[in-house]
Amino acid sequence: MKNNAKPLQRPRLARGVRYRWDEVRSQHQLLYPEGLLVLNESGAAIVKLCDGRALEEIKQSLTMSFPQAELTEDPKFTEDVEEFLGRLMQRGLVCHDDNA
Amino acid sequence: MTTTPRPMALLAELTYRCPLHCLYCSNPLQLARYRREIDTATWQRVLGEASQLGVVQVHFSGGEPLMRRDLVELVQTARKLDLYSNLSTSGMTATAELLSQLREAGLDALQVSLLDSDGASNDWLADVPSFDKKVEAVRLARELDFPITLNVVLHRHNLDRIEEIIDLAVAWQVDKLELAHVQYTGWAFRNRAALLPRRDQVESAAKIVAHATERFSDRLQILHVLPDYFQEYPKACLNGWGRTFLTIAPDGAVLPCQAAREIPQLTFPTVLEKSLEQIWFEDPVFQRFRGFDWMPEPCQSCERREVDFGGCRCQAFLLTGDPAVTDPVCRLSPNHELVELALAEAAQSTANVVFRTFNN
Repeated sequence: MKNNAKPLQRPRLARGVRYRWDEVRSQHQLLYPEGLLVLNESGAAIVKLCDGRALEEIKQSLTMSFPQAELTEDPKFTEDVEEFLGRLMQRGLVCHDDNA
Repeated sequence: MTTTPRPMALLAELTYRCPLHCLYCSNPLQLARYRREIDTATWQRVLGEASQLGVVQVHFSGGEPLMRRDLVELVQTARKLDLYSNLSTSGMTATAELLSQLREAGLDALQVSLLDSDGASNDWLADVPSFDKKVEAVRLARELDFPITLNVVLHRHNLDRIEEIIDLAVAWQVDKLELAHVQYTGWAFRNRAALLPRRDQVESAAKIVAHATERFSDRLQILHVLPDYFQEYPKACLNGWGRTFLTIAPDGAVLPCQAAREIPQLTFPTVLEKSLEQIWFEDPVFQRFRGFDWMPEPCQSCERREVDFGGCRCQAFLLTGDPAVTDPVCRLSPNHELVELALAEAAQSTANVVFRTFNN
């Protein structure tokens, strides 16, 4: 369900959605049928972890990628990640892992 | 021009051959003039050039691209180049084997055309029995877990069944439904009087679509492209000429738009003579309507020029004979009466339809 308000447990990229690094433009991109979303560094880091693993695990991995932010202890970090994933979910780009 | 943007999307029209004979075929008139098709090696080279030029998405289309025997190979090439690949098909020759080969080769997404929710009407519009094959193609694609867009072109003869069309897309469990009105270029212009809907049809259909978009938002994405003949302002055709999009025709001609071939004032370059990079940045055809300098009034001083880029060049040519004037669809165009006239004529028309063939 795209508009589900339930918190994401095991987010993964929806069918037909894939991440790509664009050499020509030096840009992170999320591609889907007939469209594309340009991502910043942190967005790209999150998206690359959306493979059905648990949200907690994603947050932990992100802390290792961005240690300077001392993230896991910061409630704002958790909010940001969840909000970002929520937005992708609303656009149908991220969904729950059905097999979770 | 130093600020010329790089293209994002390539429409690869692999062939004009097609098992359907749709009334509103978007391919150019006089198809017999363009029978030659570039070979596999040339397409592979061109896909590489497109990738280097900045193309991100390649859209394999036609005609019916499944009629190219090297399609799987070309999809593989696109995948190796990390291009996102879409395939637009009628579904007519889509076997389980071919679709799974395409999936294996890395095809990202599939678009299947449907002419009407009513089987008999679908088959009439295509001038060939095709409804059952489309049902089967969608079922097979679903089994292979392809993301599927169902494309339904709207016009007078199917618009009153819009609700059934949407219900069918829901029942078939496709991801997206594209409801786009006929663009009156190519063969569709030839049948315009028989295809243009009535205004009341357009309006009531729009209400139904808006309602369904909300109602099915959890399971189906609906894209509704309104008919520009009924709009106040023209569509932002291609998001601007030579700006984000290019087409390669089956014979290797490179076009800013797939309908541009009909503009006799233009001579098109081909991939057999020049690289895609040279063509995109230097060829006169791509420069011709790029940016804003070419624009006549009322576009030149209009605040909407960066919204709609003066509309569609092909439509300007088809309606007025001059591709460099404001799209007559615009209510500010001095030629707007031509659109009103076409609507009035169509409303009274009992015009006979002429089906598409590979020889016309």
